[in-house]
Amino acid sequence: MQLQKVTSQTIAKRDPAQVMRLSRLGSFHQSRLSFMRILTRRMVRESWTFSRPIFEFDDKGVGHAVYCAHTPKRTYSLIVFGHDLPPEQRSDRVIAQAWDSTFTLFDGVPDTSDIERLRRNIPLQEAGRVSEKELSVSRANRSVRLWDHVVTCLAAGVQPDRDEIDKVGYLMRTTAVYGSGKLGAADHEMIADRAECAAPFQIEMLSVFLTRTYVRDLVQHMASLKGGPTAVTLDASIARSLGIGNSTGLGMAPFLINHPMLINNWIAAREQAIAVVRNLPTASQAEAEMFRGLLERSLISADIWRSTHPMQVEKLKKLRHDLSELADHVAQMDLQIPRPWDQLFRWSEGNLGEDAQECLASLMLEPYGSLVDHLADQMSDHNAEAFRIDGTMRVAQLRAVLESVYGWALNIDWSQQNHCARAWYVSAEKLEPRLGERFEEPIAPYEQPLAPGRDAATLYYALSDIDKDTSLAAFLLTHPQHRHSVRRAQIVAQAPYAEIRDNTIGSDLMPIDMLRCKLSFFGATHFDPRSDRWVRICMFGNAPYPEELSPAQDDDWTYPPTQRNGA
Amino acid sequence: MSHSLNEIAAHAKRAARGAGLSWGMAEEAARAIRWLASHDLVGPVLLADVLAQNDGRPYAQVAPVSLEGEWHAPKGDLCPLAVGTTLNDCADQLAEGPSIKAVNVSCPLLVLPFAAWAAVHLKEPVRLSYDTVQIETDGNGIWINDPHREINTHTAKSLTCQRTSKRTDAAQLPSLRGAVTPEVWARLDVFAQRTFAPATEASRQLGAGAGASDND
Repeated sequence: MQLQKVTSQTIAKRDPAQVMRLSRLGSFHQSRLSFMRILTRRMVRESWTFSRPIFEFDDKGVGHAVYCAHTPKRTYSLIVFGHDLPPEQRSDRVIAQAWDSTFTLFDGVPDTSDIERLRRNIPLQEAGRVSEKELSVSRANRSVRLWDHVVTCLAAGVQPDRDEIDKVGYLMRTTAVYGSGKLGAADHEMIADRAECAAPFQIEMLSVFLTRTYVRDLVQHMASLKGGPTAVTLDASIARSLGIGNSTGLGMAPFLINHPMLINNWIAAREQAIAVVRNLPTASQAEAEMFRGLLERSLISADIWRSTHPMQVEKLKKLRHDLSELADHVAQMDLQIPRPWDQLFRWSEGNLGEDAQECLASLMLEPYGSLVDHLADQMSDHNAEAFRIDGTMRVAQLRAVLESVYGWALNIDWSQQNHCARAWYVSAEKLEPRLGERFEEPIAPYEQPLAPGRDAATLYYALSDIDKDTSLAAFLLTHPQHRHSVRRAQIVAQAPYAEIRDNTIGSDLMPIDMLRCKLSFFGATHFDPRSDRWVRICMFGNAPYPEELSPAQDDDWTYPPTQRNGA
Repeated sequence: MSHSLNEIAAHAKRAARGAGLSWGMAEEAARAIRWLASHDLVGPVLLADVLAQNDGRPYAQVAPVSLEGEWHAPKGDLCPLAVGTTLNDCADQLAEGPSIKAVNVSCPLLVLPFAAWAAVHLKEPVRLSYDTVQIETDGNGIWINDPHREINTHTAKSLTCQRTSKRTDAAQLPSLRGAVTPEVWARLDVFAQRTFAPATEASRQLGAGAGASDND
């Protein structure tokens, strides 16, 4: 009776107070709901076709190309400009001014005048200007070490060394992919009603998907020019393992805080998917087999995941250990029991670290595309009205919301220097977002509103002198400095995953936790922090190339294959 | 120059913040200017004018003294962004019948987006009137009646916002681009620049965490 009672209770989404902590957000893994996978599933489902109408480069990689993706209704074209970049100018920082390759995703098929116009602007990136015909602007630098190795090997007639490939994982890394209105490009609203643009960041993901094909083609082209008849074609399985690297810095961290409703929708969709699977009464043999297979491939993925960052090295050691534990446990576990996934997940919460727990949460979703993939439709933000402050709310109600959502912040003594040691600011230099030491640098006057916890606590204390029946409209008339915090509190009251429930300005803040959260939703793997505030990742590693997309293809390419040729 | 609406909003937000508005006010100013630009109205120009006019003045001097009766500043003109945000905060009052009135409002066109959001909230069109100007909006479309070309006036003696009946004739609808002249952009940029910390070598090295080499 007792067991029946327990199992008949519906398992809800996890508590935001548990999920929205930085250490957990910084342990997220890609899943079926990641934006890259949403895109490739659509490409297969809708039988997109691809073409390369222009590809003209010299032996140094200088030239241009056009790669087209044809959907059933329209065409998107990646226009590429290749440059010969002096090594001393190669930097992944936003403040760089030249790159190996520069790109724009064009809405339609560009004509000669479009290409000429863009040739004058795209290589300049932020210093250039684009129009509403362009949907994104991006750039990439070579991994010089791996690029030279691959060109030299292929030109000499041999395949590159598999270990060298695995050490880096990509031939080029993008250092910024700008979308949604940046530099004069089309606002997202211009394309939001297109089915293929409905899920978040689909344009940016498409740009990177096509960039990966260009990089493979260019390295082959340069090797062929160098080696002549001696040159060989890059082994397909090695090519397949290569992704596009990405260097991501602090610019991504404010995004999570500045788009509370959007972040809520991403996390709520994944939490809903996890809850759906935990509630399943049984798992079929085939579902269990699929899970076990992908768990094995996750172990391989963790194994080839490299980082030299001390914190990440420790994290990886723990993840590998925990995934082995998980594999051992799953090997002995009978998945034919009632609510097998919930039981497994509960076991993980008692026995594994957060990294492996989140890996398991994502893995459990894999056999259930038919139950969870549709949640991708809920990940965009269409609720413009949530921005509006409800001025009729009374002070007493707002206090209750603050106590419920920001209790963690009310327990922090914000007058202690270590709790507010940092300040987020924007540098005059290329408007780069930066994080500084509040008590050591003169940056406080420039502080960005990226400490919602501290600001909510300040608001809470300001309310203590105000009559409980006062309307917020009246309160804000005399306290405009709290307007942004009132708005956030009202948003979080209806969107529980909208707020990071942790200190974003403490001396122990690791901004890379925020970056990993966002990048995991992109579908990134192999996070490699290069400091506490920027990280390299791999995108579309092991993904099919355009000609490899097929309906028979299982949507599991993010997990490396068990058999790896050329190893 | 043709701009994306996001660019206009981002620039307006920085300018508003740079001129001393609170972050929450700056967020709403940004959306308001974006909304006006999408309707090809001179939001960016009027924002630059208002920010210059009120530069350095405490909010309490340009905001309504009270929500009771006709809204007015302690002395001088009301800031239209203060009127607008407060109007939207109090939108439910309009549902109950009476209009909201304010006296001596500078650049009153800047109140229009807030009236539009009130209309969205109420699910009923509202009418904003000042001088001889009457603008009706359902939140998305607008109907302008401006017989004496006073829509961009720099000060209105009196401004009224009230519910109105639904229109069946064609509204002026928003577009997805905005035009801002380089001169106006530069005027806003003077304020926006105040929000950026001067670049120093220390912040260049540490602020974005250069850390390990990024050229390998």
